[in-house]
Amino acid sequence: MNARKALREARLILIGIPVALWTLVPIYHMFLFALSSKDDAFSGQLWPSHPTLNNFAIVFEEKHYFLNHFWRQLGNSLVIAIAVGVITLAIATFAAFAISRLKVRGGRLVMNCALFTYFIPAAFLAVPMYKAMGVYGLLNTQWALILAMITLASPYAIWVLKQASDKLPYELDEAARIDGASPLQLFRLVYVPLMVPSLVAIGTYALLLAWNEYLYAFLLLSNDKDITLAVALGHFLSADDSPWEVLMATGLIYALPPAAIYYVFRRYMVSGLTAGAVKS
Amino acid sequence: MASVAFQNVEKNFGSTKVIHGITFEIQDGEFLVLVGPSGCGKSTLLRMLAGLEEISGGVVSIDGRKVNDVDSKDRDIAMVFQSYALYPHMTVRDNMGFSLKLRKADARITTERVARAAKILNLEPYLDRFPRELSGGQRQRVAMGRAIVRDPKVFLFDEPLSNLDAKLRVAMRAEIKALHQRLKTTTVYVTHDQIEAMTMADRIVVMHDGVIEQIGTPLELYDHPDNLFVAQFIGSPAMNIVNGTLHRHGGTAYVEAAGGTRWPLESGVGHDGQQVAFGIRPEHLAVTDVGTVGAVPAQITVVEPTGAETELLVQAGEAPIVLVTHGRTSVRPGDAIGLAVDPAMVHVFDQASGDRLVPVMQ
Repeated sequence: MNARKALREARLILIGIPVALWTLVPIYHMFLFALSSKDDAFSGQLWPSHPTLNNFAIVFEEKHYFLNHFWRQLGNSLVIAIAVGVITLAIATFAAFAISRLKVRGGRLVMNCALFTYFIPAAFLAVPMYKAMGVYGLLNTQWALILAMITLASPYAIWVLKQASDKLPYELDEAARIDGASPLQLFRLVYVPLMVPSLVAIGTYALLLAWNEYLYAFLLLSNDKDITLAVALGHFLSADDSPWEVLMATGLIYALPPAAIYYVFRRYMVSGLTAGAVKS
Repeated sequence: MASVAFQNVEKNFGSTKVIHGITFEIQDGEFLVLVGPSGCGKSTLLRMLAGLEEISGGVVSIDGRKVNDVDSKDRDIAMVFQSYALYPHMTVRDNMGFSLKLRKADARITTERVARAAKILNLEPYLDRFPRELSGGQRQRVAMGRAIVRDPKVFLFDEPLSNLDAKLRVAMRAEIKALHQRLKTTTVYVTHDQIEAMTMADRIVVMHDGVIEQIGTPLELYDHPDNLFVAQFIGSPAMNIVNGTLHRHGGTAYVEAAGGTRWPLESGVGHDGQQVAFGIRPEHLAVTDVGTVGAVPAQITVVEPTGAETELLVQAGEAPIVLVTHGRTSVRPGDAIGLAVDPAMVHVFDQASGDRLVPVMQ
């Protein structure tokens, strides 16, 4: 019995170690670069001979050509990500509530459309989206990126929240209606409080989707002061002799907020995103 | 306090008709139980009264006012659900005060009413707990408390005891009844359990396939079932039914069943040669010696002593029969006995229509 258990453990470890290495090596690589001086960076050692925080100083003090607007761009990323998170959440919550709880006509159609959008890769829509934003005169404004990201995030958000809503017993709505609740009171006093885990998960999902976005940010924004940090990072590679150590230090900083958010909300992420995955 | 009336009420789900023109009235302060097997439409009827289902036809009125198009919240009713439907994120106190909060009632009045309801239901120690921290019976009481706080015209109960274990169900049954005797609020109670119906109701409405089979007090239904369905649905163990042909010879009458058994009945029921269902309740049969004049010969199959009474399963001709004797009995499985039938207690139904032929008891 114990031998079998040990064997199973061993197999899990055998699978686990390569997966962990596969995931961690690039991160370690980035970390290593960020702590190395320019000369050390390509030495091939597992730990720099003279670890330094100088790269971070360069980034924070905007002391590099590519980093002239670092703080501004970090702020852009933040504003856009939060806006996308909040607005997507609002749209998806109202939609899920209306479809799942108020059972409005056409709800099924909306759900089917939301599902259908999964079949279209976001990259396919980049050019049409660019044209659409041009028509509306939104190009080179952050609203263009915010609206585009909301468009991309909403279908999934609606789908997941609708599935999660369906799990709330319908008797609660009926009890509230008999207790005298209007639909808005039902939404505010019963529905939202009970949906908090799913709402946190979906809000985080939309926020991180926007934070990590490169393609649309690159297409829709061009002014150096308006672009997000993701696009700014891309600019590093346009140089013949890219300052890898500074790029990696910036990248590390850029990767910290998502990691922090995941850490804080990890409890909700698992329960929230798998909600509705299976019908209970 | 209010009366409730259903007039020719119908309900369709798409093209399926589930309620076929139901008419009856509930008196002010009455405890009325809707009972029937699952799918008979009793819950649908209750939900139509609650405003949770649209009314496809007919009129539902509360206190003389037509409420077909009135919102649930404006019907002045309170409902207790089978699943309790307590708000999981609110304490017992907030659950019970929720309706008053929505009505923007004065905080003092809310506190007062919640306290009073909590006192009636022995929920005072639990007011600051959440529903997940309560047992099934306590949750059930909170659901009732939420209804009491409203001080509604009508209480609606939708199978409120189905999720409780057997012992708690009996206790809560008594509590609900005591509550009704205290508050005297008009109550409509839906259940599939005929024992609940019998023990709690002032009057019972027996439903089957979307129509009313019979309305009456518990004992009326028990003693004078209008048809075979009610006869078999009300009472536990159920009434024995033996199908056979009615024979009349001079002043005597009997039903001859398959296997040649003859079941005596009072004369004046039905006509000679009619195909009938002979019904007799288990407690109206008695064990006598085999060969007694007029007794139906039978053989004991199973003896089930429960202490106060003993249930005997016997085979009479081709019919399995249940009888209940009070006290102890010395018979054993395999014994040949005679079944003594009290003809005054016999129910006779037409086999084809299922209708009762004539009332046997006055």
